[in-house]
Amino acid sequence: MAAFEYRQAEEIRDAFARRGVHYLFIGKSGAILLGFPDTTQDADLFVEKSPENGRSIVAALRDLGFTLDDGQAAQIEGGKDFVQLKNGPFDLDLVFAPDGIERFADAWRRRVEIEGFPVCHLDDIIASKEATGRAKDRDSLPRLRSFREYWLQRHGLP
Amino acid sequence: MDTPAGSKIPADWLAEFEAAARRPLRTRFRYAFIHTYKPVLDDEPFRAFDTTADYRRWCEENLPDWLGYGRV
Repeated sequence: MAAFEYRQAEEIRDAFARRGVHYLFIGKSGAILLGFPDTTQDADLFVEKSPENGRSIVAALRDLGFTLDDGQAAQIEGGKDFVQLKNGPFDLDLVFAPDGIERFADAWRRRVEIEGFPVCHLDDIIASKEATGRAKDRDSLPRLRSFREYWLQRHGLP
Repeated sequence: MDTPAGSKIPADWLAEFEAAARRPLRTRFRYAFIHTYKPVLDDEPFRAFDTTADYRRWCEENLPDWLGYGRV
């Protein structure tokens, strides 16, 4: 598996738009879209949890070349909280219930659009990383908080 | 970019943030996304967890500590 590429992010954006998927880039991949200079391995998507969105996600993933059998599709449609996909052209994590964020609708209201990519606000990305309590998130948080300060200043926000 | 007095951003990080801001998104992607094999995690094509807590627990119980997925 090669590294995730910009072209593949565009394919996600376009396929998800065609199928009407409600989603946001989250995690470090979201921060990178916002300009955070760091490294990561795959893309994390915060997806709205609903049967309709689940069906749209499955259709979009199949469009993208993910091989999902009916059982796997049913798990995505049926309300699992976390799905890890390594059966397609790139690795993808679908997060239906990220730590530290109460509701998709709240994160959607706070989202930032970057070249057509819907991205969680840095406050939500940071809240989610704080809530995981993982070693790898703890290590990246100080730099991410500094980037938030920089990003808010750059965009003229308080 | 000037930062206001009292900014706590370390100078080397600020320089990196500003350099990144000058790059097109496509270039930032090329620098940011890498791929290395992650033992156990990369060995199954599909996993689904009922709850995020289940996923965290699975990571702690099954992944090598050095991957950093364990809670501290």
